[in-house]
Amino acid sequence: MLIRKSDRRRGSAKPVLAEANRPGGGLDRRTFLKRSGIAAGALAALGELALNGVRKAEAGPPAAPGAPVATRKNICTHCSVGCSVIAKVSNGVWIGQEPDYDSPINRGSHCCKGAAVRDDVLSERRLRYPVKLVNGQWMRISWETAINEIGDKLMEIRQNAGPDSVYWLGSAKFTNEAAYLNRKLAAFWGTNNSDHQARICHSTTVTGVANTWGYGAMTNSYNDIRNARTILLMGGNPAEAHPVSLQHILEGKELNRANMIVVDPRMTRTAAHATEYVRVRPGTHIATIYGMLWHIFENGWEDKEFLSQRVYGVDEIRKAAAKWNPKEVERVTGLPEAQVKHIAELFAKQKPATLIWAMGQTQFTTGTANVRASCLLLLATGNVGMPGAGANIFRGHTNVQGATDLGLDVTTLPLYYGLAEGAWRHWCRVWEVDYEWMKSRFPSKTLMETPGIPSTRWFDATLLPKDQISQPNPVQAMFVMGHGVNTITRMPEAVRGIEKLELLVVCDPYPTAWSVLSERKNGTYLLPACTSFEMEGSRTASNRSLQWGEKIVEPVFESKNDYDLMYMLARKLGFAEAMFKNIKVEYGAVSAEDILREINRGGWSTGYCGQSPERLKAHMRNQAKFDLVTLRAPKDDPEVGGDYYGLPWPCWGTPEFRHPGTPLLYNNNLSVKDGGGSFRARFGVERVVKRKVMENGQEVEREEHDNLLAEGSYSVGSDIKDGYPEFTLGVLKKLGWDKELTPQEMEIIRRVNSADPDKVSWSLDLSGGIQRVAIEHGCSPYGNGKARMIAWNLPDPIPVYREPIYTPRPDLVADYPTLPDAKQFRVPNIGFSVQKSAVDRGISKQFPLILSSGRLVEYEGGGEETRSNKWLAELKQYMYVEINPADAAQRGIKDGGWVWVTGAENSSRTRVKAMVTERVGKGVAWMPFHFAGFFEGDDLRAKYPRGADPIVLGESVNTLTTYGYDPATGMQEPKATLCQIRAA
Amino acid sequence: MARMKFLCDADRCIDCNACVTACKNENEVPWGINRRRVVTINDGKPGERSVSMACMHCTDPPCASVCPVNCIFPTEDGVVLHNKDQCIGCGYCFYACPFGAPQYPQVGNFGSRGKMDKCTYCAGGGGPEAPGSAAEFAKYGSNRFGDGKLPLCAEMCSTKSLLAGDGDIIAQIYGERVRKRGYGSGAWGWTTAYHDDVEV
Amino acid sequence: MVMTFLARFRLATFVLALLAIAAAAPVFAQKVNPDGAPNPTASVTSQRELLQQVPRITGRIDIPDTKASVLIQPAGRTWDYFHQVLLRRGGAIVILGTVLLLAIGYLILGRLRISAGRSGQKVVRFKAFERFAHWLTAASFIILGLTGLNITFGKAALLPIVGPDTFAAISQVAKYVHNFTSFAFVAGLVLITVIFFKDNLLEKVDIDWLKQGGGFIKNRHAPAGRFNFGEKIVFWLSISAGIAVSASGFLLLFPFYGTDILGMQLAQMVHAVVAILFVALILAHIYIGTVGMEGAFEAMGTGEVDLNWAKEHHDQWIAKKLAGENGRGEPTATPAE
Repeated sequence: MLIRKSDRRRGSAKPVLAEANRPGGGLDRRTFLKRSGIAAGALAALGELALNGVRKAEAGPPAAPGAPVATRKNICTHCSVGCSVIAKVSNGVWIGQEPDYDSPINRGSHCCKGAAVRDDVLSERRLRYPVKLVNGQWMRISWETAINEIGDKLMEIRQNAGPDSVYWLGSAKFTNEAAYLNRKLAAFWGTNNSDHQARICHSTTVTGVANTWGYGAMTNSYNDIRNARTILLMGGNPAEAHPVSLQHILEGKELNRANMIVVDPRMTRTAAHATEYVRVRPGTHIATIYGMLWHIFENGWEDKEFLSQRVYGVDEIRKAAAKWNPKEVERVTGLPEAQVKHIAELFAKQKPATLIWAMGQTQFTTGTANVRASCLLLLATGNVGMPGAGANIFRGHTNVQGATDLGLDVTTLPLYYGLAEGAWRHWCRVWEVDYEWMKSRFPSKTLMETPGIPSTRWFDATLLPKDQISQPNPVQAMFVMGHGVNTITRMPEAVRGIEKLELLVVCDPYPTAWSVLSERKNGTYLLPACTSFEMEGSRTASNRSLQWGEKIVEPVFESKNDYDLMYMLARKLGFAEAMFKNIKVEYGAVSAEDILREINRGGWSTGYCGQSPERLKAHMRNQAKFDLVTLRAPKDDPEVGGDYYGLPWPCWGTPEFRHPGTPLLYNNNLSVKDGGGSFRARFGVERVVKRKVMENGQEVEREEHDNLLAEGSYSVGSDIKDGYPEFTLGVLKKLGWDKELTPQEMEIIRRVNSADPDKVSWSLDLSGGIQRVAIEHGCSPYGNGKARMIAWNLPDPIPVYREPIYTPRPDLVADYPTLPDAKQFRVPNIGFSVQKSAVDRGISKQFPLILSSGRLVEYEGGGEETRSNKWLAELKQYMYVEINPADAAQRGIKDGGWVWVTGAENSSRTRVKAMVTERVGKGVAWMPFHFAGFFEGDDLRAKYPRGADPIVLGESVNTLTTYGYDPATGMQEPKATLCQIRAA
Repeated sequence: MARMKFLCDADRCIDCNACVTACKNENEVPWGINRRRVVTINDGKPGERSVSMACMHCTDPPCASVCPVNCIFPTEDGVVLHNKDQCIGCGYCFYACPFGAPQYPQVGNFGSRGKMDKCTYCAGGGGPEAPGSAAEFAKYGSNRFGDGKLPLCAEMCSTKSLLAGDGDIIAQIYGERVRKRGYGSGAWGWTTAYHDDVEV
Repeated sequence: MVMTFLARFRLATFVLALLAIAAAAPVFAQKVNPDGAPNPTASVTSQRELLQQVPRITGRIDIPDTKASVLIQPAGRTWDYFHQVLLRRGGAIVILGTVLLLAIGYLILGRLRISAGRSGQKVVRFKAFERFAHWLTAASFIILGLTGLNITFGKAALLPIVGPDTFAAISQVAKYVHNFTSFAFVAGLVLITVIFFKDNLLEKVDIDWLKQGGGFIKNRHAPAGRFNFGEKIVFWLSISAGIAVSASGFLLLFPFYGTDILGMQLAQMVHAVVAILFVALILAHIYIGTVGMEGAFEAMGTGEVDLNWAKEHHDQWIAKKLAGENGRGEPTATPAE
């Protein structure tokens, strides 16, 4: 029942909505009839519909009679699907929500969070005005006082300890513009200690996937899953975390009679709709993938042409997979051979096949290796770069994709330019500030180019002795904007960290757990930020589409939007003029459009250059024109002709170039100007490897030059019929294409690097000329390379199976230990010692249950916002632990009874309700992570500022979670630790 | 003539509760009253299915039949409405309702349940209040139906599992779906509510 | 509403449902694959089959309202059928039938006179406290009966006369009156039980009374103690019915405490059926205590009965009473004059 484009447009809900907003709106039976079909996602135009018995409404009920009702469109702030929210506003009050049938992403649908976002704004529990903690009491202060006091303290810390002692923790709830501004603020302040939720979310994906084929993002889109023949979900529960995505998954599954395989430790709500469910032990992803690859290589199911043309390093993977025979796979994962073989065969043969994942792969000490393993499976079966295939990586928050792209990350400046001098120089050019001045903001050039401390380690960086931290001083101040503390593991230590801070500033619509966890008496400020519904800006959904949100209502109470707040602070800190040089600020109100334009001017590397505010707004106006499956608008449309919805990045060139965006990454069945592309030639043109070879009966070591460019594969319409490196002016010259650059473009290129303009690349060229010329020749600006199966720059160049730090299988640790201790991201990572100690002490006997954590559909993230939403809070009123009936019976635990769950570190314990369910297997316990407000049995409600306590409080699972950090990203390990449960 | 019905396609329902909060949002339903809810059977086991349930707006509505004061009545469109001014809070409609739809503001000891509340199909109330008026909204919630709109729960369903509209149309949509995908767990509650099932 | 075959079928299902007490157990109707591996889509759960296996489909729900976990209970329709058809028809037949029977009895038998005529001599039959207990119960019973009947028959009998709004107002008041009068009734019931318990225990004489047809057949007075066998039957039936309506009534008064939807339906059914029968019984009791028998009402009215009435209807009681008084040296019953 796929809606045909023409049908859907005819059935648009627009007329109905227009009717609705007119007082005394009449009833259009035909539209009503259609609506029934639209609501179903299908049209069946049948029969006559007569409405007799129910009387027609005179006007929208809650609006005052005669008051005009405006509709405004914004984007739901609760996950990365990017559902459009239509708000009805009357007299400045948000009076209701309507379904947005025009959005090709959600077609009117929401999950419970999206359908309840109105209360995010109306909530009585919002923080109303700035407060500070004075001798343990919350005291109301003015914004001016707050910014002055905070600014003075920050300057004092900067003076005494250096800029790196201030930690800027940003948010995935930011708009793109706010995320960018936050990163810019940290840069102007002089530190790389700037991070956000992606650290604990998909940092491993970004690192792992980008190191495989160029960009670390979802390759396809939610809508594109409709094309899949096989849908493999490993480590994701989108039915709860991304409910609207299930619309596309389930419709795709139904239309294609697709295989939907769920591999998960829990029988989730997603698994309930699978054609096959495979219960696996948490943390054994790499073993499972190698197990599948073993069967694929053994039976020759791999895509040999794809591998030879577009993939580098398959031979090493063959060798690695050969060790994972079915017996070993079963020993490690518990999965029987037949089951592994079956899903491997489906994935390899029933193509296109897509692999979907979320936190179930990323939140491990092997997170980066896990997602790399997933990429290997996709590459081996040739399932990348075509409709219905790809790595469909479901990001978590509204704009975690955008915030990641815009550099809220300790390792890079906006848009993955990194931290090297070239990157700094690029952004200084965009910002029009002097590089030398920027350098002077930092204690040293080294620190300027050294990745900062990941958000998972902020309290280690606060608590550890100075000599163990590779920066001048430990962290002394946390400046937190929209990030819960209870989403980070090892909370008992975070509590001590909070207590040791000199200054804690939390800018959030809600007080959050930061405000209540510790025994702090002074030096804490809560600043009421408004939600994204109360401000303008763009958001990047998981499929890389940007959507522009309108301000629905003015910020409630005394809250301020992120832009204005950061402007105030920058002014206090003395660099507002430089920072907002090209951004209009009127009476303290910052222009979001101008920020996006600045992003456009610098965002070449990731194709954030074409999405001007004007184009994005045109897309929001013309949502109905985009196709449900391809996301493309008809070519003849005057405003959005040929565009893909939301101009999914990379959207090359200047906005005037009108690149349509790239709906599927690396799809060489389309020309680049139509959104096609190849694998990014990011890792050079060749790799020099020393190999031992037999020569004349003698083994000799020979240096070999492995080609890293594609061979015989190129995107449609490419003038270069083979692999090619990334474009620079020099490359253009070699090809003789440099003459096609306009004089203005040449002028700008020369200005970028006057010493050696030939070195100016597609990503540094501020004119967009190099990109334009490359694309006009059908070439990807970033080159046409091979995807890497070997990522030689990562701690594990090919994925290596390693047991979780706290494993229930100490017998496997000898064979599969975690990586040795090392210093990473300015702090020590002693995972190996912790794992060894746990094995030596027999921790798995004291704590025999695996503890995993995850999401509920009703709540999101740290949960303060959603637990303060009266419509959501009612649905889950207690924190709980899922426990298998067998484990519960052993312990005398009853469904709904109170239990103590104890953790393997810090003598941690939580008092929660038991949910006895077969969702979890024997030996596994599972807890949602959205709760806070109880700590180790104590109710902290009284510690919230009056009236701003969330409706529902509960113990945080991260009180129990333990040590363990991915060496490549600093990702925590909340998905696999150990616990014990007893009845309370 | 149009006959309004609900149909929950349990093979699409993912227990996301969008219908629940959409209902609360649209009708400002207070805490503790759940005009719509999602029940999961075989939770965590193979065959798990979630079903969104509210008033099904039955044919021969048993609630209307047992109501001692006749305050519940079906309209010509098959929407079952009630008049809160006349409701005495006896609770009989809850005993008769096959779907657990009637809700009461209080627990109801000593018969103090208060006025019954239930899904109105977003069609306002069955009392004397002017359609679409603030008075009607305060008592019964929204009157989308009068504007030619369907209940918001169905309109916002995340997977298009919950269908609302003319019974024949939604039965056909569901039937097509089942034929297309090759399986279906049935139109939940239809035999009980409408003495009728969707033949596939 | 006519009782269709379907309705009969549903009634049968309902009866089965009543027998299935453990019906609240979770539903297991999924098909498992031959290899035992969970295969959710293949094991489609069919609601039609589920409903054939269990009377109510229940599942997990996260809101605290546990009764919301019942997804579908077709028995609601059966209960509706019971309430609207069986109860109303049956109730009408029973009550109107009783009235009719009593009228016929009155026409045939007329008022039972004191054969010997009034002696003029009074004996105390019920002390003030005993009469208080009786009238407390009786008055509350009548209030409960009328307000209760209103729930079942009011919309047919009263609503057309007074109109829906007035009727709703009346019914609202009636509901609260019914709910709170119940406590008075229970108090009365307890008192009656305690006070009259001993005198209502069955004795040998009751067999003789029965043999003589209670005096109705051979038209001569049958032997009896303080209470004759007929009265004892009324007593025991009333106590049983009283307990049944009180217990079921309290379940209804505290809905869903320790019970579920099935329990509530059962409680209501017991309450209604017993109440209707109770009303019929009490109608007979009222008849015999008032118009049906000369000299009977005084017992509960003033508490004193005529000696001759006592001798004719409660010979053993009066004999014992007189003997007892003699034994205590008290003067025998003195003339009233």
